[in-house]
Amino acid sequence: MMPLSMAETGRMNQIRKIGGKEETRRFLESLGFVTGGFVTVVSEMNGNLIVNVKESRVAISKEMASKIMI
Amino acid sequence: MKVKIALAGNPNSGKTTLFNALTGSNQFVGNWPGVTVEKKEGKIKGYTAKGDEAILVDLPGIYSLSPYTLEEVVSRNFLLGEKPDAIINIIDGTNLERNLYLTTQLTELGIPVIIAVNMMDLVKKNGEELNIDRLAKDTGCKVVEISALKGDGIDQLAQRAVAIAKSGMKTQPAHSFEGCVEHAIAHIEEAINGKVDQSMERWYAVKLFERDGKVRENLKLEQSLLDHIEQDIVSCEKEMDDDAESIITGERYNYIGSIIDDCYKKRVKKQMSVSDKIDRIVTNRFLALPIFAVVMFVVYYVSVTTVGAILTDWTNDTLFGEWIIPAAQGALETIGCADWLTGLLVDGIISGVGAVLGFVPQMLVLFIFLAFLEGCGYMARIAFIMDRIFRKFGLSGKSFIPMLIGTGCGVPGVMASRTIENDRDRKMTIMTTTFIPCGAKLPIIALIAGALFDGASWVAPSAYFVGIAAIICSGIILKKTKMFAGDPAPFVMELPAYHLPTVGNVLRSMWERGWSFIKKAGTIILLSTIFVWFAQSFGFEGGSFGMVEDMNNSILAAIGSAIAWIFTPLGWGEWKAAVAAITGLVAKENVVGTFGILYGFGEVAEDGAEIWGSLAGSMTAVAAYSFLVFNLLCAPCFAAMGAIKREMNNAKWFWFAIGYQTVLAYIVALCVYQIGTLLTAGTFGIGTAVAFALVIGFLYLLFRPYKESQNLTVPKSIAGKVRA
Repeated sequence: MMPLSMAETGRMNQIRKIGGKEETRRFLESLGFVTGGFVTVVSEMNGNLIVNVKESRVAISKEMASKIMI
Repeated sequence: MKVKIALAGNPNSGKTTLFNALTGSNQFVGNWPGVTVEKKEGKIKGYTAKGDEAILVDLPGIYSLSPYTLEEVVSRNFLLGEKPDAIINIIDGTNLERNLYLTTQLTELGIPVIIAVNMMDLVKKNGEELNIDRLAKDTGCKVVEISALKGDGIDQLAQRAVAIAKSGMKTQPAHSFEGCVEHAIAHIEEAINGKVDQSMERWYAVKLFERDGKVRENLKLEQSLLDHIEQDIVSCEKEMDDDAESIITGERYNYIGSIIDDCYKKRVKKQMSVSDKIDRIVTNRFLALPIFAVVMFVVYYVSVTTVGAILTDWTNDTLFGEWIIPAAQGALETIGCADWLTGLLVDGIISGVGAVLGFVPQMLVLFIFLAFLEGCGYMARIAFIMDRIFRKFGLSGKSFIPMLIGTGCGVPGVMASRTIENDRDRKMTIMTTTFIPCGAKLPIIALIAGALFDGASWVAPSAYFVGIAAIICSGIILKKTKMFAGDPAPFVMELPAYHLPTVGNVLRSMWERGWSFIKKAGTIILLSTIFVWFAQSFGFEGGSFGMVEDMNNSILAAIGSAIAWIFTPLGWGEWKAAVAAITGLVAKENVVGTFGILYGFGEVAEDGAEIWGSLAGSMTAVAAYSFLVFNLLCAPCFAAMGAIKREMNNAKWFWFAIGYQTVLAYIVALCVYQIGTLLTAGTFGIGTAVAFALVIGFLYLLFRPYKESQNLTVPKSIAGKVRA
C-alpha cells in the first residue's frame, strides 16, 4: 500500500483504504473515492494531482492525495 | 394547482443551463436565508398562469445529502422542510456512476423524483448506449433524456415533471442494501414508526443508521430508543467490519455498479479522451506556468492595451467629452437653467458618473475573455495550477481568479470570490483582492510617475509589486491570527471536461458582471458625486454661505484641513492631498481630477500632465510615493466597499476588512515616507523611530512561528461551481 500522491501517472490503481478524519473520508467518498474503486492519475503538479475517478476528473491537493492509499 | 419543483444535481451537471432553459427569463435570484449560497427561483415556461403555476427552485450543486457542507445542509433543509411536490434530478449522462449516488439518496425522501439525463448528445457521440427504460426500472424514477445546452427534451421534461408533481406519486427507492444492513434498517424503521412522516421512514432510518447528528437532534428520540438502535448498528458494523457510514456509502456504490452493468453499454476500447490529452499539456508540470502566462498576456494585451483602450478612450473622450457633456451644457444653457444646477448636472453628475462608466467597455472585453476561460474549463485548471503557490500564504488557488478580475475592477473581483466555498478562504480573498491596482488606480500611478519621477518606467510595475506584496504579507499575517487559524481548505475541485462554451453563456456571464458594476455607478457613485460636488462648490465666502469662487473656501477644503494633520506623518499633510484621497473613495480616478480642480485647472488629461509642475512643487518625491502607496492600499472606492459588504454579509467583518486595509495602507505609507526621507535627506525624527518600530512589529507578525495544523478539515462545500 502506498499513498496516491506517489502513484505513477497514467496507471490505473485500485483504492485500498481511505484514511484521515471521518469528515475527510466521507467527503472523498461522496466524490467517488471509495475503497475498491479505481483511480488514475492524469497529471501531477508540485504534488497536487488531477485524477480520473468514476468517469470524472477531480483536482486534489497533495494533503488529500496522501490520505488515499492504493 | 400550484406546484413547487426542486432542481437537484451535482455541480457541473448542467444544472444552471437547465434551469435557465426551463424558466426562460422568469427567474429570481437571492440568497438562502442566513447564508450566502445563491438561491434561484423561477416559473417553468408554459406554467406561469395564475393558480396553475409551476415554481422551480434551483438547489445548490451537491454530491450527496450528508450534513457536512453548507450546500448540502441548505438543500437538505429545503427538501425536508418545504417538501416540494417533485424533484427533478439532473444527472450527467457521461458520468452516471458518481451522479447516481445522489439519486439513491433523493429517492429515499418520499418525494416524486424525475431523472433528467443530461448531455445525451455527448453520450451518443461517444458511441455509448444508455437504456433509459432499464434505468427507470432500476432507480424507481421516471427518466427523460435531455441536452440542456441544445435545448433537446426540455419541453417533455417540463410536462412530465409537472405531471408527476400533480399526481403526487411518491417514488419508491428501487435499491436495497446487503441483508444485515436491511435488517438493521428495518429494525430502526419499526422503532421510529409513528414518530416521523410515514413516507420518509426509510430516509430517517438510513440516516439514524449512519448516526447522522442533525437528524438525531431533530427527532429528539428517547435515550432508551437510541440505545436500542445503537445495538443494531454495532452488530451490523461487526458483521461488515466497517463503520456504519462507510457501509451505506459502499452499498450505494455497489447498487449503482449493478445498475450501470444493466443499462449502460460502454465502448470497450477506452482511449484517452480529448480532455485528458489537453490536461496532459496545459497542466504539465513544466508547461503549465508558461502556458498560463501566455494566456494571461493575451487576455490583458487585448482587453487593456488594444481593443479595451480604444473603446474606453472613445467613451471618455468622444461619447462623454465631445457629445454628451457639451450637448447637456448647451441644452441647459438654452433653457436658462440656473448656474448651480448646470454645474451640478454637468460637472458633478455627468462627469462623475461618466468617468466611472468610461471603464465599462474595457471591463466588458475583459469579462468576455474571463467568461470564455471559465466556460471552456481552463479557469478551473488555473485554480489548480496556482494552488500550491497561493497555499504558501494562506490563500487557495481559487483566490487567484478574483484577483485577476480585480486588475480590471475591484467590484466584480470581490464578487468573483463567491466561487470560493470555504468561508475562511473567501473572507481572506475579499479582504486582499482590492490591493491589486485596478484600472481606476492607473491614472494615479501615471500622475505620480509623471509629476515626481520624470515618468520613470519602474513606478507602474512597482505599484503592482506593492499590491502583490500586500496580498502575500496579509495572507501570511492573517493566517497566523486567531480569526483565520488553520489550513486553507484542502483543494478539491471537480474539473469539467473541456468544451466550447456557447455564445449565450459567455455573454450572459459578461453581462451579469458588467451590470453589477453599472448599477453601482448609477446608485452609490451618483450619490457620492453629488455630495462631493456640493462640498467643493459650496462654502462660506465673504461671510455668507453659498457657491464659492475659490475652492479654498469650500466645505471640502474645510473638511480637508480638519483631517490633513492625520497625513502629516505620511509626508502629505496638505489639505489638497487629503481632499484628493477622500474623493478617491468615490472613484479612484477622481484623485487626479480633484488635484486638477484644486490647482486651478478645470479639465486635466487622464494622467494630469497640466498639474505635474504644481504637484512637484508641493511635495517631495518620497512623499508622493507615500501618497501613491496609501491610495493603492487603503479602503477601495465606495462601489468596491459595497461589494465587500455584500459578500461578507456581516457588518463586523466588513468594518474589519475596511479597517485592516486602511491601517495597513497608513503604516506602509508612513514607513515609506519616514525611512525614505532618512535615506534621501538624512533626517531622523520621532516619525523615523516609529517607522522602524512598525517595521520590526511587521516583521515579527510576518515571521513569527506558525504551526501548521496537521488536521485536514473538510471544506465548507465541495468542488468548484465553475459554471459550464
